[in-house]
Amino acid sequence: MANRGGAQRPNGGPGKICQFKLVLLGESAVGKSSLVLRFVKGQFHEYQESTIGAAFLTQTVCLEDTTVKFEIWDTAGQERYHSLAPMYYRGAQAAIVVYDITNQDTFGRAKTWVKELQRQASPNIVIALAGNKADLANKRVVEYDEAQAYAEENGLLFMETSAKTAMNVNEIFLAIAKKLPKNEQVSGAGSSGQTRRLVESEQQKAPGNCCK
Amino acid sequence: MASSVFSKVDEYGFERPEDFDYETYEDFMSQYLVVLAKRAKKWHELIGEGKSLKRSLTVKRYVRKGIPGEHRGMVWMTVSGADIMREELGHDWYQRLLSGPKDQEIIDTVKMDLPRTYPDNIFFNAADDHQIRLCNILVAYAHDNKEVGYCQGLNYIAGLLLLVTKDDETTFWLLKVLVERVLPKYYTRTMDGVITDIAVLEELVRAKVPDVYRHVRNVGLPWAVITTKWFICLFAEVLPIETVLRVWDCLFYEGSKIIFRVCITLIKRNREQLLQCSDFSSLAECFKEITHDSLVMQCHDFMQSIFKTPGSLPASSISRLRTKLAQHKLDQQPR
Ligand SMILES: Nc1nc2c(ncn2[C@@H]2O[C@H](COP(=O)(O)OP(=O)(O)OP(=O)(O)O)[C@@H](O)[C@H]2O)c(=O)[nH]1
Ligand SMILES: [Mg+2]
Repeated sequence: MANRGGAQRPNGGPGKICQFKLVLLGESAVGKSSLVLRFVKGQFHEYQESTIGAAFLTQTVCLEDTTVKFEIWDTAGQERYHSLAPMYYRGAQAAIVVYDITNQDTFGRAKTWVKELQRQASPNIVIALAGNKADLANKRVVEYDEAQAYAEENGLLFMETSAKTAMNVNEIFLAIAKKLPKNEQVSGAGSSGQTRRLVESEQQKAPGNCCK
Repeated sequence: MASSVFSKVDEYGFERPEDFDYETYEDFMSQYLVVLAKRAKKWHELIGEGKSLKRSLTVKRYVRKGIPGEHRGMVWMTVSGADIMREELGHDWYQRLLSGPKDQEIIDTVKMDLPRTYPDNIFFNAADDHQIRLCNILVAYAHDNKEVGYCQGLNYIAGLLLLVTKDDETTFWLLKVLVERVLPKYYTRTMDGVITDIAVLEELVRAKVPDVYRHVRNVGLPWAVITTKWFICLFAEVLPIETVLRVWDCLFYEGSKIIFRVCITLIKRNREQLLQCSDFSSLAECFKEITHDSLVMQCHDFMQSIFKTPGSLPASSISRLRTKLAQHKLDQQPR
Protein backbone atom coordinates (compact mmCIF):
# COMPACT_ATOMS: atom_id res chain seq x y z
CA MET A 1 0.00 0.00 0.00
CA ALA A 2 1.18 3.43 -0.89
CA ASN A 3 0.85 5.09 2.47
CA ARG A 4 2.44 2.28 4.42
CA GLY A 5 5.72 4.14 4.59
CA GLY A 6 4.34 6.63 7.03
CA ALA A 7 3.63 3.92 9.55
CA GLN A 8 7.13 2.58 9.45
CA ARG A 9 8.52 5.09 11.84
CA PRO A 10 10.54 3.38 14.51
CA ASN A 11 8.75 2.13 17.57
CA GLY A 12 8.78 4.14 20.72
CA GLY A 13 7.46 7.30 19.08
CA PRO A 14 4.17 8.75 20.15
CA GLY A 15 2.30 5.53 19.31
CA LYS A 16 1.48 3.19 22.16
CA ILE A 17 -0.85 0.31 22.66
CA CYS A 18 -3.39 0.05 25.43
CA GLN A 19 -5.54 -2.87 26.30
CA PHE A 20 -8.88 -2.53 28.04
CA LYS A 21 -11.52 -4.91 29.23
CA LEU A 22 -15.01 -3.91 28.16
CA VAL A 23 -18.19 -5.68 29.22
CA LEU A 24 -21.64 -5.49 27.61
CA LEU A 25 -24.65 -5.70 29.90
CA GLY A 26 -28.39 -5.41 29.38
CA GLU A 27 -31.62 -7.36 29.10
CA SER A 28 -31.87 -10.32 26.75
CA ALA A 29 -32.46 -9.54 23.08
CA VAL A 30 -31.63 -5.83 23.27
CA GLY A 31 -28.81 -6.41 20.80
CA LYS A 32 -25.58 -6.77 22.81
CA SER A 33 -24.19 -9.56 20.65
CA SER A 34 -25.35 -7.78 17.52
CA LEU A 35 -23.47 -4.63 18.49
CA VAL A 36 -20.33 -6.66 19.07
CA LEU A 37 -20.74 -8.56 15.82
CA ARG A 38 -21.18 -5.30 13.95
CA PHE A 39 -18.17 -3.72 15.63
CA VAL A 40 -15.84 -6.71 15.31
CA LYS A 41 -16.89 -8.28 12.02
CA GLY A 42 -19.06 -5.67 10.35
CA GLN A 43 -21.95 -8.12 10.14
CA PHE A 44 -25.56 -8.29 11.27
CA HIS A 45 -27.72 -11.38 11.69
CA GLU A 46 -31.48 -11.03 11.62
CA TYR A 47 -31.61 -14.04 13.93
CA GLN A 48 -28.76 -13.73 16.34
CA GLU A 49 -28.43 -16.71 18.66
CA SER A 50 -29.04 -16.00 22.31
CA THR A 51 -25.81 -15.86 24.27
CA ILE A 52 -25.28 -18.48 26.95
CA GLY A 53 -22.88 -17.50 29.70
CA ALA A 54 -20.60 -15.10 27.92
CA ALA A 55 -18.73 -14.70 24.67
CA PHE A 56 -15.30 -13.19 24.29
CA LEU A 57 -13.92 -11.19 21.37
CA THR A 58 -11.25 -8.63 20.69
CA GLN A 59 -11.11 -5.59 18.45
CA THR A 60 -8.71 -2.74 18.01
CA VAL A 61 -9.45 0.94 17.64
CA CYS A 62 -6.96 3.53 16.50
CA LEU A 63 -6.78 6.94 18.04
CA GLU A 64 -4.34 9.58 16.93
CA ASP A 65 -1.35 8.36 18.88
CA THR A 66 -2.68 5.26 20.57
CA THR A 67 -3.93 1.86 19.59
CA VAL A 68 -6.68 0.71 21.90
CA LYS A 69 -7.27 -2.99 22.02
CA PHE A 70 -10.63 -3.95 23.45
CA GLU A 71 -11.13 -7.26 25.17
CA ILE A 72 -14.89 -7.52 24.77
CA TRP A 73 -17.01 -9.65 27.06
CA ASP A 74 -20.51 -10.11 25.75
CA THR A 75 -22.82 -11.47 28.44
CA ALA A 76 -26.13 -13.32 28.59
CA GLY A 77 -29.07 -11.06 29.29
CA GLN A 78 -31.63 -13.26 31.00
CA GLU A 79 -32.23 -12.23 34.62
CA ARG A 80 -31.12 -15.52 36.08
CA TYR A 81 -27.67 -15.23 34.54
CA HIS A 82 -27.25 -12.22 36.78
CA SER A 83 -25.46 -14.22 39.43
CA LEU A 84 -22.64 -14.85 36.94
CA ALA A 85 -22.32 -11.19 35.94
CA PRO A 86 -19.89 -9.99 38.63
CA MET A 87 -17.43 -12.55 37.35
CA TYR A 88 -17.56 -10.82 33.99
CA TYR A 89 -17.50 -7.17 34.98
CA ARG A 90 -14.87 -7.61 37.67
CA GLY A 91 -11.82 -5.63 36.60
CA ALA A 92 -13.55 -4.13 33.55
CA GLN A 93 -12.41 -0.63 32.68
CA ALA A 94 -15.39 0.03 30.44
CA ALA A 95 -18.98 -1.09 30.09
CA ILE A 96 -21.68 -0.61 27.52
CA VAL A 97 -25.11 -0.93 29.07
CA VAL A 98 -27.61 -1.60 26.30
CA TYR A 99 -31.36 -1.16 26.11
CA ASP A 100 -33.84 -1.44 23.27
CA ILE A 101 -35.57 1.86 22.40
CA THR A 102 -38.74 -0.07 21.55
CA ASN A 103 -39.03 -1.66 24.99
CA GLN A 104 -39.48 0.37 28.17
CA ASP A 105 -38.62 -2.50 30.54
CA THR A 106 -35.18 -2.85 29.02
CA PHE A 107 -34.47 0.80 29.84
CA GLY A 108 -35.42 0.16 33.46
CA ARG A 109 -33.14 -2.84 33.49
CA ALA A 110 -30.33 -0.75 32.03
CA LYS A 111 -30.65 1.69 34.92
CA THR A 112 -30.37 -1.19 37.36
CA TRP A 113 -27.16 -2.29 35.65
CA VAL A 114 -25.74 1.21 35.82
CA LYS A 115 -26.45 1.34 39.55
CA GLU A 116 -24.86 -2.03 40.12
CA LEU A 117 -21.75 -1.05 38.17
CA GLN A 118 -21.44 2.21 40.06
CA ARG A 119 -21.63 0.32 43.32
CA GLN A 120 -19.67 -2.83 42.56
CA ALA A 121 -17.38 -2.40 39.56
CA SER A 122 -13.99 -0.66 39.44
CA PRO A 123 -14.45 2.88 40.74
CA ASN A 124 -13.21 4.60 37.58
CA ILE A 125 -15.08 2.43 35.09
CA VAL A 126 -16.20 4.26 31.95
CA ILE A 127 -19.85 3.50 31.33
CA ALA A 128 -21.67 4.08 28.06
CA LEU A 129 -25.40 3.78 27.62
CA ALA A 130 -26.58 2.51 24.23
CA GLY A 131 -30.19 2.89 23.10
CA ASN A 132 -30.11 0.20 20.44
CA LYS A 133 -32.48 -0.64 17.56
CA ALA A 134 -32.67 3.04 16.67
CA ASP A 135 -33.66 1.98 13.17
CA LEU A 136 -37.06 0.96 14.56
CA ALA A 137 -38.02 4.61 15.11
CA ASN A 138 -41.72 3.99 14.48
CA LYS A 139 -41.82 1.59 17.42
CA ARG A 140 -39.93 3.86 19.76
CA VAL A 141 -41.13 4.05 23.36
CA VAL A 142 -38.02 5.35 25.13
CA GLU A 143 -37.52 9.01 24.22
CA TYR A 144 -34.06 10.22 23.30
CA ASP A 145 -34.26 13.17 25.66
CA GLU A 146 -35.24 11.04 28.61
CA ALA A 147 -32.28 8.71 28.16
CA GLN A 148 -29.94 11.61 27.41
CA ALA A 149 -30.98 13.37 30.63
CA TYR A 150 -30.51 10.19 32.63
CA ALA A 151 -27.07 9.64 31.13
CA GLU A 152 -26.01 13.17 31.90
CA GLU A 153 -27.14 12.94 35.51
CA ASN A 154 -25.09 9.80 35.94
CA GLY A 155 -22.02 10.82 33.99
CA LEU A 156 -22.46 8.24 31.25
CA LEU A 157 -21.59 8.44 27.61
CA PHE A 158 -24.79 8.10 25.61
CA MET A 159 -25.69 7.26 22.04
CA GLU A 160 -28.59 5.73 20.23
CA THR A 161 -27.26 2.93 18.05
CA SER A 162 -28.37 0.45 15.45
CA ALA A 163 -26.50 -2.79 15.01
CA LYS A 164 -28.66 -3.32 11.95
CA THR A 165 -27.69 -0.15 10.06
CA ALA A 166 -24.34 0.27 11.86
CA MET A 167 -25.37 3.70 13.07
CA ASN A 168 -23.13 4.91 15.91
CA VAL A 169 -21.67 1.46 16.53
CA ASN A 170 -18.03 2.28 15.81
CA GLU A 171 -18.67 5.72 17.26
CA ILE A 172 -19.67 4.47 20.68
CA PHE A 173 -16.62 2.25 20.99
CA LEU A 174 -14.46 5.11 19.77
CA ALA A 175 -15.96 7.51 22.29
CA ILE A 176 -15.16 5.03 25.04
CA ALA A 177 -11.63 4.56 23.75
CA LYS A 178 -11.13 8.33 23.87
CA LYS A 179 -12.45 8.64 27.38
CA LEU A 180 -10.32 5.86 28.83
CA PRO A 181 -7.17 6.99 30.58
CA LYS A 182 -4.15 5.88 28.57
CA ASN A 183 -1.34 6.46 30.95
CA GLU A 184 1.63 4.17 30.97
CA GLN A 185 -0.19 1.06 29.85
CA VAL A 186 2.64 -0.57 28.01
CA SER A 187 5.26 -0.01 30.60
CA GLY A 188 2.91 -1.82 32.92
CA ALA A 189 2.76 0.89 35.56
CA GLY A 190 -0.76 -0.23 36.45
CA SER A 191 -1.52 3.10 38.03
CA SER A 192 -4.63 3.76 40.10
CA GLY A 193 -6.17 0.35 39.56
CA GLN A 194 -7.42 1.61 36.21
CA THR A 195 -5.10 -0.27 33.96
CA ARG A 196 -5.33 -3.97 33.56
CA ARG A 197 -2.32 -5.93 34.50
CA LEU A 198 -0.81 -6.93 31.22
CA VAL A 199 0.56 -10.41 31.04
CA GLU A 200 4.30 -10.26 30.86
CA SER A 201 4.78 -11.76 27.44
CA GLU A 202 2.19 -9.36 26.12
CA GLN A 203 4.12 -6.42 27.44
CA GLN A 204 7.21 -7.60 25.70
CA LYS A 205 5.64 -8.00 22.33
CA ALA A 206 3.36 -4.99 22.49
CA PRO A 207 4.23 -2.98 19.40
CA GLY A 208 4.79 0.69 19.70
CA ASN A 209 2.94 1.75 16.60
CA CYS A 210 -0.66 1.93 15.59
CA CYS A 211 -2.61 -0.54 13.44
CA LYS A 212 -0.58 -2.73 11.16
CA MET B 1 -12.28 -26.91 -3.95
CA ALA B 2 -13.02 -30.59 -4.36
CA SER B 3 -16.66 -31.43 -4.00
CA SER B 4 -17.67 -33.62 -1.14
CA VAL B 5 -19.96 -36.60 -0.94
CA PHE B 6 -21.36 -34.91 2.13
CA SER B 7 -23.94 -32.22 1.58
CA LYS B 8 -23.82 -28.77 3.05
CA VAL B 9 -26.54 -29.76 5.51
CA ASP B 10 -26.01 -32.61 7.94
CA GLU B 11 -28.52 -35.32 8.78
CA TYR B 12 -30.03 -33.25 11.59
CA GLY B 13 -30.58 -30.25 9.37
CA PHE B 14 -27.59 -28.17 10.48
CA GLU B 15 -25.77 -26.23 7.81
CA ARG B 16 -22.13 -27.08 7.97
CA PRO B 17 -19.94 -24.09 8.74
CA GLU B 18 -18.08 -22.31 5.94
CA ASP B 19 -14.75 -23.61 7.14
CA PHE B 20 -15.97 -27.16 7.64
CA ASP B 21 -13.12 -29.59 7.13
CA TYR B 22 -14.69 -32.02 4.66
CA GLU B 23 -11.48 -33.89 4.10
CA THR B 24 -10.96 -34.86 7.72
CA TYR B 25 -14.65 -35.57 8.04
CA GLU B 26 -14.66 -37.90 5.06
CA ASP B 27 -11.64 -39.73 6.41
CA PHE B 28 -13.33 -40.12 9.72
CA MET B 29 -16.71 -41.10 8.31
CA SER B 30 -15.27 -43.80 6.07
CA GLN B 31 -14.24 -45.58 9.26
CA TYR B 32 -17.10 -44.50 11.43
CA LEU B 33 -19.74 -45.80 9.00
CA VAL B 34 -18.30 -49.27 9.52
CA VAL B 35 -18.57 -48.84 13.27
CA LEU B 36 -22.12 -47.55 12.92
CA ALA B 37 -23.16 -50.52 10.81
CA LYS B 38 -21.74 -52.91 13.35
CA ARG B 39 -23.39 -51.13 16.26
CA ALA B 40 -26.70 -51.01 14.42
CA LYS B 41 -26.62 -54.76 14.02
CA LYS B 42 -25.77 -55.32 17.68
CA TRP B 43 -28.51 -53.01 18.87
CA HIS B 44 -30.96 -54.60 16.50
CA GLU B 45 -30.23 -57.93 18.10
CA LEU B 46 -30.50 -56.54 21.61
CA ILE B 47 -33.77 -54.77 21.03
CA GLY B 48 -35.16 -57.30 18.56
CA GLU B 49 -34.85 -60.13 21.04
CA GLY B 50 -36.99 -58.07 23.34
CA LYS B 51 -34.19 -58.24 25.86
CA SER B 52 -34.59 -55.78 28.63
CA LEU B 53 -32.83 -52.46 28.34
CA LYS B 54 -32.71 -52.35 32.11
CA ARG B 55 -29.43 -51.17 33.51
CA SER B 56 -26.78 -53.82 33.13
CA LEU B 57 -23.12 -53.95 32.25
CA THR B 58 -23.99 -55.03 28.73
CA VAL B 59 -26.36 -52.15 28.14
CA LYS B 60 -23.91 -49.70 29.66
CA ARG B 61 -21.18 -50.96 27.35
CA TYR B 62 -23.50 -50.73 24.38
CA VAL B 63 -24.45 -47.19 25.31
CA ARG B 64 -20.83 -46.14 25.63
CA LYS B 65 -20.20 -47.39 22.11
CA GLY B 66 -23.07 -45.30 20.79
CA ILE B 67 -26.80 -45.70 20.36
CA PRO B 68 -28.00 -45.82 16.74
CA GLY B 69 -29.85 -42.64 15.81
CA GLU B 70 -33.19 -44.26 15.21
CA HIS B 71 -33.25 -45.83 18.69
CA ARG B 72 -31.96 -42.88 20.63
CA GLY B 73 -35.29 -41.50 21.80
CA MET B 74 -36.51 -44.84 23.05
CA VAL B 75 -33.25 -45.88 24.68
CA TRP B 76 -32.73 -42.49 26.34
CA MET B 77 -36.28 -42.72 27.74
CA THR B 78 -35.55 -46.15 29.22
CA VAL B 79 -32.04 -45.82 30.60
CA SER B 80 -32.69 -42.41 32.17
CA GLY B 81 -35.89 -43.47 33.89
CA ALA B 82 -37.94 -40.92 31.96
CA ASP B 83 -40.39 -43.62 30.96
CA ILE B 84 -41.02 -44.52 34.60
CA MET B 85 -41.61 -40.85 35.32
CA ARG B 86 -44.19 -40.83 32.55
CA GLU B 87 -45.77 -43.99 33.94
CA GLU B 88 -46.09 -42.44 37.37
CA LEU B 89 -47.42 -39.05 36.29
CA GLY B 90 -49.72 -40.39 33.61
CA HIS B 91 -49.60 -40.62 29.86
CA ASP B 92 -51.79 -37.56 29.41
CA TRP B 93 -49.49 -35.37 31.50
CA TYR B 94 -48.01 -33.50 28.56
CA GLN B 95 -51.35 -33.02 26.84
CA ARG B 96 -52.87 -31.71 30.07
CA LEU B 97 -50.07 -29.17 30.40
CA LEU B 98 -50.60 -28.07 26.84
CA SER B 99 -54.28 -27.39 27.38
CA GLY B 100 -53.91 -25.92 30.86
CA PRO B 101 -53.91 -22.19 31.73
CA LYS B 102 -50.83 -20.24 30.65
CA ASP B 103 -48.77 -17.38 31.92
CA GLN B 104 -48.42 -14.85 29.09
CA GLU B 105 -45.05 -13.62 30.33
CA ILE B 106 -43.56 -17.08 29.97
CA ILE B 107 -44.98 -17.44 26.49
CA ASP B 108 -43.48 -14.09 25.47
CA THR B 109 -40.07 -14.98 26.84
CA VAL B 110 -40.01 -18.31 25.06
CA LYS B 111 -41.26 -16.79 21.82
CA MET B 112 -38.45 -14.28 21.82
CA ASP B 113 -35.93 -17.12 21.72
CA LEU B 114 -37.60 -19.24 19.02
CA PRO B 115 -36.10 -17.53 15.97
CA ARG B 116 -32.81 -17.36 17.90
CA THR B 117 -32.60 -21.13 18.36
CA TYR B 118 -30.47 -22.91 15.77
CA PRO B 119 -31.13 -20.26 13.09
CA ASP B 120 -28.81 -22.24 10.80
CA ASN B 121 -30.88 -25.39 11.03
CA ILE B 122 -33.28 -25.94 8.16
CA PHE B 123 -35.98 -27.39 10.43
CA PHE B 124 -35.84 -24.38 12.71
CA ASN B 125 -36.39 -21.75 10.08
CA ALA B 126 -39.73 -20.04 10.27
CA ALA B 127 -41.25 -21.99 7.39
CA ASP B 128 -40.94 -25.35 9.11
CA ASP B 129 -42.94 -26.46 12.14
CA HIS B 130 -40.10 -26.93 14.64
CA GLN B 131 -40.32 -23.45 16.13
CA ILE B 132 -43.96 -23.99 17.08
CA ARG B 133 -43.29 -27.45 18.43
CA LEU B 134 -40.34 -26.20 20.46
CA CYS B 135 -42.52 -23.38 21.79
CA ASN B 136 -45.13 -25.88 23.00
CA ILE B 137 -42.53 -28.04 24.71
CA LEU B 138 -40.75 -25.18 26.47
CA VAL B 139 -43.96 -23.47 27.56
CA ALA B 140 -45.40 -26.76 28.82
CA TYR B 141 -42.24 -27.47 30.77
CA ALA B 142 -42.06 -23.97 32.24
CA HIS B 143 -45.58 -24.49 33.63
CA ASP B 144 -44.81 -27.99 34.80
CA ASN B 145 -41.77 -26.89 36.77
CA LYS B 146 -42.40 -23.43 38.17
CA GLU B 147 -39.12 -23.42 40.06
CA VAL B 148 -37.25 -23.58 36.77
CA GLY B 149 -39.68 -21.88 34.42
CA TYR B 150 -37.86 -21.03 31.22
CA CYS B 151 -34.09 -20.78 31.33
CA GLN B 152 -32.15 -19.76 28.25
CA GLY B 153 -30.13 -22.75 27.16
CA LEU B 154 -33.08 -25.13 27.50
CA ASN B 155 -34.08 -24.00 24.02
CA TYR B 156 -30.91 -25.53 22.59
CA ILE B 157 -31.30 -28.74 24.58
CA ALA B 158 -34.98 -29.26 23.79
CA GLY B 159 -34.35 -28.20 20.22
CA LEU B 160 -31.72 -30.88 19.73
CA LEU B 161 -33.82 -33.50 21.52
CA LEU B 162 -36.61 -32.70 19.09
CA LEU B 163 -34.34 -33.02 16.07
CA VAL B 164 -33.19 -36.43 17.28
CA THR B 165 -36.41 -37.96 18.61
CA LYS B 166 -38.72 -36.19 16.14
CA ASP B 167 -41.41 -36.42 18.80
CA ASP B 168 -42.70 -33.58 21.01
CA GLU B 169 -43.78 -35.67 23.95
CA THR B 170 -40.57 -37.70 24.09
CA THR B 171 -38.66 -34.43 23.98
CA PHE B 172 -40.69 -33.10 26.89
CA TRP B 173 -39.97 -36.13 29.09
CA LEU B 174 -36.29 -36.20 28.24
CA LEU B 175 -36.02 -32.51 29.02
CA LYS B 176 -37.78 -33.10 32.32
CA VAL B 177 -35.57 -36.00 33.32
CA LEU B 178 -32.41 -34.07 32.45
CA VAL B 179 -33.38 -31.00 34.42
CA GLU B 180 -34.84 -32.83 37.40
CA ARG B 181 -32.87 -36.04 37.74
CA VAL B 182 -29.71 -36.08 35.66
CA LEU B 183 -28.41 -32.58 36.47
CA PRO B 184 -28.25 -30.84 39.83
CA LYS B 185 -30.21 -27.55 39.75
CA TYR B 186 -28.53 -26.06 36.71
CA TYR B 187 -31.52 -24.13 35.46
CA THR B 188 -33.13 -22.71 38.60
CA ARG B 189 -33.43 -18.95 39.13
CA THR B 190 -30.01 -18.63 40.71
CA MET B 191 -28.33 -21.37 38.68
CA ASP B 192 -26.59 -22.63 41.80
CA GLY B 193 -25.89 -26.04 40.30
CA VAL B 194 -23.92 -24.60 37.41
CA ILE B 195 -21.91 -22.30 39.62
CA THR B 196 -21.07 -25.18 41.93
CA ASP B 197 -20.15 -27.52 39.09
CA ILE B 198 -17.83 -24.94 37.56
CA ALA B 199 -16.06 -24.79 40.93
CA VAL B 200 -15.99 -28.60 41.04
CA LEU B 201 -14.39 -28.70 37.60
CA GLU B 202 -11.80 -26.19 38.72
CA GLU B 203 -10.88 -28.46 41.62
CA LEU B 204 -10.71 -31.48 39.36
CA VAL B 205 -8.45 -29.68 36.91
CA ARG B 206 -6.25 -28.62 39.80
CA ALA B 207 -5.87 -32.24 40.82
CA LYS B 208 -5.62 -33.83 37.41
CA VAL B 209 -3.98 -31.25 35.15
CA PRO B 210 -2.19 -28.97 37.62
CA ASP B 211 -0.04 -27.12 35.11
CA VAL B 212 -3.07 -26.06 33.08
CA TYR B 213 -4.81 -25.05 36.28
CA ARG B 214 -1.91 -22.81 37.27
CA HIS B 215 -1.54 -21.43 33.78
CA VAL B 216 -5.21 -20.48 33.47
CA ARG B 217 -5.01 -18.81 36.85
CA ASN B 218 -1.89 -16.88 35.97
CA VAL B 219 -3.41 -15.62 32.77
CA GLY B 220 -6.46 -14.59 34.75
CA LEU B 221 -9.15 -16.32 32.74
CA PRO B 222 -12.06 -17.39 34.97
CA TRP B 223 -13.28 -20.94 34.42
CA ALA B 224 -16.82 -19.65 34.29
CA VAL B 225 -16.03 -17.72 31.15
CA ILE B 226 -14.73 -20.83 29.46
CA THR B 227 -17.19 -23.44 30.62
CA THR B 228 -20.59 -21.93 31.49
CA LYS B 229 -21.94 -22.82 28.08
CA TRP B 230 -20.45 -26.32 28.24
CA PHE B 231 -22.50 -27.04 31.34
CA ILE B 232 -25.69 -25.22 30.45
CA CYS B 233 -26.00 -26.50 26.91
CA LEU B 234 -24.50 -29.91 27.71
CA PHE B 235 -22.10 -29.30 24.82
CA ALA B 236 -24.86 -28.58 22.29
CA GLU B 237 -23.59 -25.65 20.20
CA VAL B 238 -20.15 -26.40 21.60
CA LEU B 239 -18.96 -29.76 20.25
CA PRO B 240 -19.71 -31.23 16.81
CA ILE B 241 -23.20 -32.67 16.65
CA GLU B 242 -22.23 -36.37 16.44
CA THR B 243 -20.00 -35.94 19.43
CA VAL B 244 -22.71 -34.18 21.44
CA LEU B 245 -25.13 -37.03 20.84
CA ARG B 246 -22.56 -39.63 21.83
CA VAL B 247 -21.97 -37.65 25.03
CA TRP B 248 -25.71 -37.51 25.66
CA ASP B 249 -25.96 -41.29 25.23
CA CYS B 250 -23.70 -41.68 28.24
CA LEU B 251 -25.20 -38.73 30.09
CA PHE B 252 -28.67 -40.29 30.07
CA TYR B 253 -27.29 -43.57 31.29
CA GLU B 254 -24.50 -42.58 33.66
CA GLY B 255 -25.48 -39.14 34.84
CA SER B 256 -23.88 -35.75 35.17
CA LYS B 257 -20.36 -36.90 36.01
CA ILE B 258 -19.97 -37.58 32.29
CA ILE B 259 -19.80 -33.82 31.80
CA PHE B 260 -16.66 -33.65 33.93
CA ARG B 261 -15.13 -36.53 32.00
CA VAL B 262 -15.65 -34.64 28.76
CA CYS B 263 -14.28 -31.37 30.17
CA ILE B 264 -11.17 -32.97 31.59
CA THR B 265 -10.53 -34.98 28.46
CA LEU B 266 -10.71 -31.80 26.39
CA ILE B 267 -8.30 -30.04 28.69
CA LYS B 268 -5.89 -32.91 29.12
CA ARG B 269 -5.67 -33.86 25.48
CA ASN B 270 -4.95 -30.26 24.51
CA ARG B 271 -2.70 -29.54 27.44
CA GLU B 272 0.34 -28.45 25.47
CA GLN B 273 -1.60 -26.24 23.15
CA LEU B 274 -3.28 -24.51 26.09
CA LEU B 275 0.00 -24.00 27.91
CA GLN B 276 1.44 -22.27 24.86
CA CYS B 277 -1.16 -19.50 24.93
CA SER B 278 0.52 -16.86 26.98
CA ASP B 279 -2.11 -14.16 26.95
CA PHE B 280 -5.74 -13.89 27.82
CA SER B 281 -7.18 -13.58 24.31
CA SER B 282 -5.25 -16.42 22.76
CA LEU B 283 -6.07 -18.70 25.68
CA ALA B 284 -9.78 -17.89 25.45
CA GLU B 285 -9.59 -18.50 21.70
CA CYS B 286 -7.78 -21.79 22.21
CA PHE B 287 -10.49 -23.03 24.55
CA LYS B 288 -12.94 -22.40 21.72
CA GLU B 289 -10.80 -24.14 19.12
CA ILE B 290 -10.35 -27.32 21.10
CA THR B 291 -14.12 -27.86 21.02
CA HIS B 292 -14.22 -28.28 17.27
CA ASP B 293 -10.90 -29.62 16.12
CA SER B 294 -10.41 -33.01 14.52
CA LEU B 295 -9.89 -34.69 17.91
CA VAL B 296 -13.49 -34.07 18.89
CA MET B 297 -14.86 -34.60 15.42
CA GLN B 298 -13.69 -38.19 15.67
CA CYS B 299 -16.40 -38.92 18.17
CA HIS B 300 -15.77 -42.64 18.50
CA ASP B 301 -12.17 -42.20 19.61
CA PHE B 302 -13.09 -39.22 21.67
CA MET B 303 -15.75 -41.15 23.55
CA GLN B 304 -13.33 -43.94 24.25
CA SER B 305 -10.84 -41.48 25.60
CA ILE B 306 -13.26 -39.83 28.03
CA PHE B 307 -13.22 -43.09 29.99
CA LYS B 308 -9.44 -43.32 29.98
CA THR B 309 -7.85 -39.90 29.80
CA PRO B 310 -9.26 -38.34 33.00
CA GLY B 311 -8.41 -41.38 35.12
CA SER B 312 -10.60 -42.40 38.01
CA LEU B 313 -13.52 -40.11 38.76
CA PRO B 314 -15.83 -41.74 41.27
CA ALA B 315 -19.35 -40.34 41.64
CA SER B 316 -18.82 -40.23 45.38
CA SER B 317 -15.91 -37.80 45.18
CA ILE B 318 -17.84 -35.55 42.82
CA SER B 319 -20.77 -35.41 45.17
CA ARG B 320 -18.44 -34.72 48.07
CA LEU B 321 -16.87 -31.85 46.15
CA ARG B 322 -20.30 -30.52 45.22
CA THR B 323 -21.41 -30.43 48.84
CA LYS B 324 -18.19 -28.85 49.99
CA LEU B 325 -18.07 -26.17 47.31
CA ALA B 326 -21.77 -25.31 47.53
CA GLN B 327 -21.28 -24.78 51.24
CA HIS B 328 -18.16 -22.75 50.59
CA LYS B 329 -20.16 -20.47 48.32
CA LEU B 330 -22.88 -20.02 50.94
CA ASP B 331 -20.27 -19.06 53.51
CA GLN B 332 -18.81 -16.47 51.17
CA GLN B 333 -22.08 -14.91 50.12
CA PRO B 334 -21.99 -11.14 50.70
CA ARG B 335 -25.28 -9.72 51.92
N1 LIG C 1 -34.04 -3.83 14.05
C1 LIG C 1 -32.98 -4.12 14.79
N2 LIG C 1 -32.85 -5.36 15.31
C2 LIG C 1 -31.76 -5.62 16.06
C3 LIG C 1 -30.77 -4.66 16.31
N3 LIG C 1 -29.82 -5.22 17.10
C4 LIG C 1 -30.21 -6.49 17.33
N4 LIG C 1 -31.38 -6.74 16.70
C5 LIG C 1 -32.11 -8.01 16.71
O1 LIG C 1 -32.52 -8.29 18.03
C6 LIG C 1 -32.37 -9.67 18.34
C7 LIG C 1 -31.53 -9.86 19.57
O2 LIG C 1 -30.23 -9.43 19.34
P1 LIG C 1 -28.99 -10.02 20.15
O3 LIG C 1 -27.79 -9.28 19.67
O4 LIG C 1 -28.97 -11.48 20.09
O5 LIG C 1 -29.38 -9.58 21.63
P2 LIG C 1 -28.56 -9.86 22.96
O6 LIG C 1 -28.69 -8.61 23.77
O7 LIG C 1 -27.20 -10.32 22.67
O8 LIG C 1 -29.42 -11.02 23.65
P3 LIG C 1 -28.94 -12.17 24.68
O9 LIG C 1 -27.74 -12.83 24.12
O10 LIG C 1 -30.11 -13.08 24.81
O11 LIG C 1 -28.67 -11.47 25.99
C8 LIG C 1 -31.75 -10.34 17.11
O12 LIG C 1 -32.72 -11.02 16.41
C9 LIG C 1 -31.20 -9.17 16.32
O13 LIG C 1 -31.25 -9.41 14.94
C10 LIG C 1 -30.94 -3.35 15.74
O14 LIG C 1 -30.13 -2.44 15.90
N5 LIG C 1 -32.06 -3.15 14.99
MG1 LIG D 1 -26.23 -12.07 23.10
